[in-house]
Amino acid sequence: MSANPYNDAVRRHFANPLHAGDLRASYADTVSAEASGSDTGFRVVLAAELDGGILRRLRYRVFGCPHLIAATEVSCSRLEGRTAEALQEFSVAPLMELLDVPVTKAGRLLMLEDAVRALAQAIPTANRGGEPSGAAMDRRD
Amino acid sequence: MIDMKAGEPVYLDYAATTPTDPAVAEAICRSMSETGSFANPASNHFAGRASHELVERARRQLADLLRTDPRTLIFTSGATESDNLAIAGAAHFRAHRGRHLITMPTEHKAVTDTFAALERQGYEVTWLSPDRDGLLAVGDLEAAIREDTQLVSVMHVNNETGVIQDIHEIGECCRRRGVLFHCDAAQSAGKLPVDLSVLPVDLLSLTAHKFCGPKGIGALYLADRADCHLQPLMHGGGQERRLRPGTLAVHQIVGFGVAAAIASARHAEDFVRLKTLNERLWRGLREIPGILRNGSTTKSFPGILNVSIEDIEGESLMLALEPVCVASGSACNAQSGESSYVLRALGLDDRLAQSAIRFSFGRFTRESDIDTAIERYSAAVHHLRAIVPAKSAKRVGA
Repeated sequence: MSANPYNDAVRRHFANPLHAGDLRASYADTVSAEASGSDTGFRVVLAAELDGGILRRLRYRVFGCPHLIAATEVSCSRLEGRTAEALQEFSVAPLMELLDVPVTKAGRLLMLEDAVRALAQAIPTANRGGEPSGAAMDRRD
Repeated sequence: MIDMKAGEPVYLDYAATTPTDPAVAEAICRSMSETGSFANPASNHFAGRASHELVERARRQLADLLRTDPRTLIFTSGATESDNLAIAGAAHFRAHRGRHLITMPTEHKAVTDTFAALERQGYEVTWLSPDRDGLLAVGDLEAAIREDTQLVSVMHVNNETGVIQDIHEIGECCRRRGVLFHCDAAQSAGKLPVDLSVLPVDLLSLTAHKFCGPKGIGALYLADRADCHLQPLMHGGGQERRLRPGTLAVHQIVGFGVAAAIASARHAEDFVRLKTLNERLWRGLREIPGILRNGSTTKSFPGILNVSIEDIEGESLMLALEPVCVASGSACNAQSGESSYVLRALGLDDRLAQSAIRFSFGRFTRESDIDTAIERYSAAVHHLRAIVPAKSAKRVGA
């Protein structure tokens, strides 16, 4: 690999993972989900704190490459404050461009998309009961 | 948060290539100048003869380093070409006697890919696995040699782990069984004693740029023995005993010679320094939870330290280590995330192999460079551990 594989946006978000961490499970309207790649061992874990259908706080944990970490950080920062429906509409396509993600890594970002979709699926369950809920997806990439 | 712009670059990737020694660079520039010896050394005129003399002087300097006769050395473009010529050249020359060859899966790609190509041409290759330290058991080699075995190829110092194979014992085994022995010494020549007056090696590959010489120039040692012959892979001239045709790159050969002369004078002193630096680096890293040293700790070249770490992804670790320049366990294949085949052959699982970082240092490495590397590695691990999920995390806050 000779050319610089990481643009400024990747470097900035990788170095400043402001949304990395966990949310307290005791809070009633907290949901979590994850997706993983069985080939790479990469994993994205997302947690959201809801307040009246609004994504009040999002946190993540990632085992993966710099592009995946940066993409997850950007996604959490963009989704915070939006309605839960935004999770259903989430797509990694704009992130591919923003972070200049090589085509060979597209599967890794789709793992993030899977995690966000799994988070969306987890929300109705959480709203119905008091227990935090979880969902998981596996992606071979 | 990690400050990825902090500090000056620290180069700890000497196993990939080394900075050119200023004395080497000066000799190359002098040779390339109008008043230097730019003529074709094959030309039969005054200027050509002057170039020829420079080439032969460099050959003598290299022969002094390796303690061999200058006539046993031929110049190539580097260790990759030397490996190809030695392995394929010997296999083809001896094909009428047998088509069985032996090597290890932990060899450099220049060797493994050449053997793989020979397999596709109908040769049979036995791939001997190392033990968990990366070492070859000579008993395994002895058992693998057959009536039709023609060549064994085992490297001296492994380029990823620094593990040193006992090439004396391996060579003795090959001699007893009448099999040619090729050794890729790209990582050891100029850094460790390689005494061909006593080593039972028939073919040995080396390159200048691994010991502060220029890139693009290497050599192949071909023992002066009746049964040690090669079939050339290229055709087009009579240079280098008709084994490696083409106009000789005089300026690079001059630089190679100077690098060899410097290495002859100081590799013992350099070795002691490298040992001190290696110990300093490991002392600084070994307390980090989950860290693991790869390869033999006793039979290892001190200019290389390879470590893996639990629950850290290698490519992210590489980026977080900037501006420290090191090599990752994902080798040249960060895009696919493929982990090091060498470390997997030592029994590491994919994830640990993928987290591997190779620190390699040399003549111009300072203690402060090692201290910076320790500091950056610790900070990078701390940064990434704050991001990675707990192993069993399935629920929020787990």
